Amino acid sequence: MPALIEARAVHKSYWLGEKEIHVLRGASFALNAGEMASLVGPSGVGKSTFLHVIGTLDPPTRGEVLFDGLDAFCMGEEQLAQFRNTSIGFVFQFHYLLPEFTALQNAAMPGLIHRMTREKAEAQAREMLEIVGLSHRLDHKPGELSGGEQQRVALARALVLGPRLLLADEPTGNLDEATGEGIHQLLVELNQRLGIAAIVVTHNPRLAERMPRRLRLTDGLVVEAQ
Amino acid sequence: MNLRWRVTAAAFVLFLAAGAAQYGLATWLGSATTFSRDAVTALSFGVEALGFLVAGFLLSFLGRGYRPLANAIASLAFGIVTFFVLRQLKPPSFSYDRFFASTGELLVWSLCAALGSWLLAMWGASLGMLIGAAGHLDGRFQYEWGIARTHLRLNRRTATVILLFVLIPPGVILLLAQIAADFDKMRRAGGHLTVRLALMLGAIVVVGLALAGRALLARSALARLQPGQRRKRPATVVMTGISIAGVAVGVWALTVVLSVMSGFEADLKHKILGTNSHALLLKFSNDFSEWKTVLPKVEAVPGVAGVSPFILNEVILSHGQTVTGAELKGIDPATAGAVSELPRQVIAGELGWITSPQSIPSSVVEPHGDAAKQLEGPEYEQYLQDTLKRRQEHPEEKGKMDPEAVKNLPGVCIGKEMSHQLRAWVGDIVNVLTPLGEMTPTGPVPRSRPFRVACILYSGMYEYDSKFVYIGIPEAQRFFKMGDNIVGLELKFNDVDAARALGRRVVTMLGGFPYRTKDWAELNRNLFSALKLEKLAMAIILTFIVLVACFNILSTLIMLVLEKTKEISILKSMGARDASVMKIFVVEGLTIGAIGTGMGLLMGLATCSFIEKFGLQLDPDVYYISNLPVNVDGAQFAMVAAISLCLSYLATLYPATKASRLSPVDGLREE
Repeated sequence: MPALIEARAVHKSYWLGEKEIHVLRGASFALNAGEMASLVGPSGVGKSTFLHVIGTLDPPTRGEVLFDGLDAFCMGEEQLAQFRNTSIGFVFQFHYLLPEFTALQNAAMPGLIHRMTREKAEAQAREMLEIVGLSHRLDHKPGELSGGEQQRVALARALVLGPRLLLADEPTGNLDEATGEGIHQLLVELNQRLGIAAIVVTHNPRLAERMPRRLRLTDGLVVEAQ
Repeated sequence: MNLRWRVTAAAFVLFLAAGAAQYGLATWLGSATTFSRDAVTALSFGVEALGFLVAGFLLSFLGRGYRPLANAIASLAFGIVTFFVLRQLKPPSFSYDRFFASTGELLVWSLCAALGSWLLAMWGASLGMLIGAAGHLDGRFQYEWGIARTHLRLNRRTATVILLFVLIPPGVILLLAQIAADFDKMRRAGGHLTVRLALMLGAIVVVGLALAGRALLARSALARLQPGQRRKRPATVVMTGISIAGVAVGVWALTVVLSVMSGFEADLKHKILGTNSHALLLKFSNDFSEWKTVLPKVEAVPGVAGVSPFILNEVILSHGQTVTGAELKGIDPATAGAVSELPRQVIAGELGWITSPQSIPSSVVEPHGDAAKQLEGPEYEQYLQDTLKRRQEHPEEKGKMDPEAVKNLPGVCIGKEMSHQLRAWVGDIVNVLTPLGEMTPTGPVPRSRPFRVACILYSGMYEYDSKFVYIGIPEAQRFFKMGDNIVGLELKFNDVDAARALGRRVVTMLGGFPYRTKDWAELNRNLFSALKLEKLAMAIILTFIVLVACFNILSTLIMLVLEKTKEISILKSMGARDASVMKIFVVEGLTIGAIGTGMGLLMGLATCSFIEKFGLQLDPDVYYISNLPVNVDGAQFAMVAAISLCLSYLATLYPATKASRLSPVDGLREE
């Protein structure tokens, strides 16, 4: 059975004026369904780029990204959007919630993008907000929530349509230690409870170590960290 | 065959179909219906434009994108085909000195066809991209509208503010108009303040004071705030407001100017059709003595509302020492009312008296009728006083002739201006002189006859009031020695705008040659085509204001796209489609356009009613009317709204397409 996601010799380079910057130089790795991994590495090494490439947001310069053994970038724009909508959840360092919408509306957004009815999308969002422990904050706007609560809403939004892969780009990077700890705990819990595979980028070595699998990005390659 | 050529071929075929539909529809409408030529042109080209639009829409599915190049090749081929087809068809030229369009003109037309087909197809393609990018239709706007609303800061509070902004300025204009009208009435009535006026002025003072107090309070509250406490407004919100105002001003100007122009047109049409009939039935010979048998046949033609015979000739009129040239028209007073407004233009005397001059009283005839009321004003009152006083002071004028002979003189109706010039009133005797006189041993001698003024007419057109005089048909036949002949028949139709087609129908019923008709538009072609051209030029120039306003929308949206790059990325990472992102910004631009348009339309409506109520004075020596006319035409307002919304839509396409093509990582990488 193929891995849930597999990167094969992924190269990614950017052009800065005349200079080509090689970020990924043939990174390969595989992650099985339900597996959880941390990704560490110094700043600027390309962790975010790696997440974007395997999250199908950014096509690689060379190499393949396979989901269930199929090349993700062979899909058209439309199917790719559909795929991101239902199969992948993103959480970023900043919560990136829409400031004019309430927590509930924010969490319901992927459902609305999926063209669910408002009622159905909000019902699912309510359920997910309950799971992340925010059932008492449904009608608050992001500005009225604390940093940890905002990140919980972002997590609920990423998971509302039940994706199979969660990509978290330093979800605790902007939070104090205790709050970050709480979010991490929640991630681990969700992984066990919902069986979602997850890759969590973090700078916190303590948090990274608690993950069942630890990956490190160095010189554009993904290696298993000990 | 690869995709590009398939798209090109399909586009070419669809363009040809649209072109053929235009030609077919124009030919069919021209022969089978009584639509005016303008209506036929507008309808057929509208269908063609719709065809191009649909073609572009369908092609965006087949080509999965705009496909500008494939469409351009197809349009070019379509233009070339159009050129050769037009050369075969030999269409009439726009200029009247040549009947067939020259090669240069055909080239311009073909280029227009090619360019038009390309632009409209691209427009259709944009719609295709918007609601059918995935190969299936998705016209849903649910969450896109929600996000667009947050970009525009459109919540209940701002919606209320906008509603107030939309309603208050027109309301103020309307109130001012009412106050001005009331004030005018009060001045005329001798300075008595009416209750309504007092109430309105009082309300204005109260509201003004309240607003001033509120503004002062807000200012002092603002001054007490610390710098950090002041609510920040992003630049895009201010720009959105400016864009709305820009569209509103453009639409306002366009509606007001077009309403005034069509006011002029309607007024002119009303006055011309008041004096003239809708069409003349003439003959290509001088002998129309069979008119009494033709008349009932014409009356029986469907669409004909009235028929009346007439005779027209140029004469000279004199009264005392004053002489003036005139058009003498012989009419049948019994049926004249069926083809023109003549009986309702009488301000003194009776139209019927021209055939029964015995009824003309020898006493002073006072002005009467509705038309007389339109003549209020010091100048006219002075004139009336002068004329009536003179008649009272010089009763001996009539004494020169035998009173019985005077009573049997035939009657003549003259216009108000001519009465002014000749200083002749009802009952006065004027001499009519025709150069078509008898041959005598000393050479040709003009023939002259005395007539008695039977009525004074007022049409409102200076030309008509100073030029036309009317006598009875039998009298005219005798005067011009025409026997039982007439010049032609005047016709009135049920539908003024179908005059040309109905005229053709009448001629066909009569067997064609030697009969012919001339409709009112043809008879006054110079005037109306000048007016039409002026209106078109005005519309085009003022549309540029709306166009400039739409550039405002464009720049606002570009700013918004830049501001929201991160948000677009997030939405895309959540699986939003390109078309959805496009929808967000198109909806935003359209909302700005729609609010601005609504505001402009209401302002235009209020201004028009202001002009109507307040009555802006015009110099009657320069213009033929005393007040600025307005004609609020719903269709015209709808057209302005459509133009404005279409331009707003076009303005959204560039920023919206740009936003939709942003890569999801563009906004995420910024950190």
